[in-house]
Amino acid sequence: MKSVTARLAFVAVTGLVGTGALAQDGPRVVAVNYPIQYFAERLLGDAGEVIFPVPTDVDPSFWRPGISDISLVQGADLILLNGAGFATWVDRVSLPRSRTVTTGAAIEDQLIVTESITHSHGDGGEHSHEGVASYTWLDPTLASLQANAIAEALTARGLAEDGDVADRLAVLQSELAALDDTTRAALSPLQGAAIIATHPRYHYLERRYGLSMTSLEWDAGAMPTQDELAELSEAVTETGAQILIWEAAPPAEAMEAVAAFGLQSVVFPPLAHAPEDGTMLEALNVSVAALAAAARGAGN
Amino acid sequence: MIPTALRRAALGLCVTAAPLGAAAHQLVVFASVEDCTDVVVEAKFSNGNVAQKGEVRVLGEDRDVLSTLMLEENGTARVGLDSIDHSAGLLIEVDTGGHDNYWILTPDDIAGKCGS
Repeated sequence: MKSVTARLAFVAVTGLVGTGALAQDGPRVVAVNYPIQYFAERLLGDAGEVIFPVPTDVDPSFWRPGISDISLVQGADLILLNGAGFATWVDRVSLPRSRTVTTGAAIEDQLIVTESITHSHGDGGEHSHEGVASYTWLDPTLASLQANAIAEALTARGLAEDGDVADRLAVLQSELAALDDTTRAALSPLQGAAIIATHPRYHYLERRYGLSMTSLEWDAGAMPTQDELAELSEAVTETGAQILIWEAAPPAEAMEAVAAFGLQSVVFPPLAHAPEDGTMLEALNVSVAALAAAARGAGN
Repeated sequence: MIPTALRRAALGLCVTAAPLGAAAHQLVVFASVEDCTDVVVEAKFSNGNVAQKGEVRVLGEDRDVLSTLMLEENGTARVGLDSIDHSAGLLIEVDTGGHDNYWILTPDDIAGKCGS
């Protein structure tokens, strides 16, 4: 997978820095999540390297980097943050201000304030989803503005040819606009219909397309516990939802268990990490189509 | 000496940013090198209150513990650079019992305060 490759490359470069043997032809850009990496790669082309250093089994929002990881980040020509509170580590290190860009700075007035929910899972320790929803790229119009910010950051620092970046940005933004149109049409039958999500990732998708989501706090790809299934049962009773969105494919028995509540399962990776197959836009199109198909199956 | 404005800006930034992805009353940790002699650790809660008690652990790149000490009542702790191997950078962890957080000092962060 691409992110695994990026991680290996990152580790390899980390080792080289210590020996002073780093040979670098083009600019090196660091991104805090896959969508930012994807946009930067599209815009930079072959002019440089874009690194997303978070291991695939770690939630990029709560990654805890090592010292050498931060040394590499500090040495990058450009550090692209998401904004909206995504990636807690960025507030625990010194980043060079002149080379750090928050791609979501221009959309701060469109961010979604969320409720406070503190919990823990995995090795990331206790954390909270309080504050601001951070998966901004799930609204293609916001993603397009973030791509624009990346383009400006690249050209302002002379990391790529202005004309090349402008051309690539136009193509990327047209693809995002097409995704927006496709999604709006595909999900229009779901407007106002209750949907349950296994984790609070989809606020921007929900707002953009007029959905009505209730979020649980389940671990990605895991078999829900009996308590979690009881919680789901209550949510179904309260909302009348007929669709359950999983952020990662769970075991088959998990889907069978929720089907007993009359729920159709849809796997919709929120893409903080790269998808198993294809690109960000391809994966989103697949997820939207799956959601639309579930809507038809649910009789909405 | 750490410029007061820088210190305030860093802590202020963290306190401001904390609600964006973290729990209320999150612990905010900041560390910097002062006069190329000491690592000064500062710990506050995101509501602005000083963390008056807490354990400070200074770790190396491999997360090996180099030093352990306690916060002073003013929410700071000080570690002599000469007393630890800081060549590969330092990971500063603060644990108040109910809250914990960290700050990373890379070799460049340290060298930048030592005139190199």
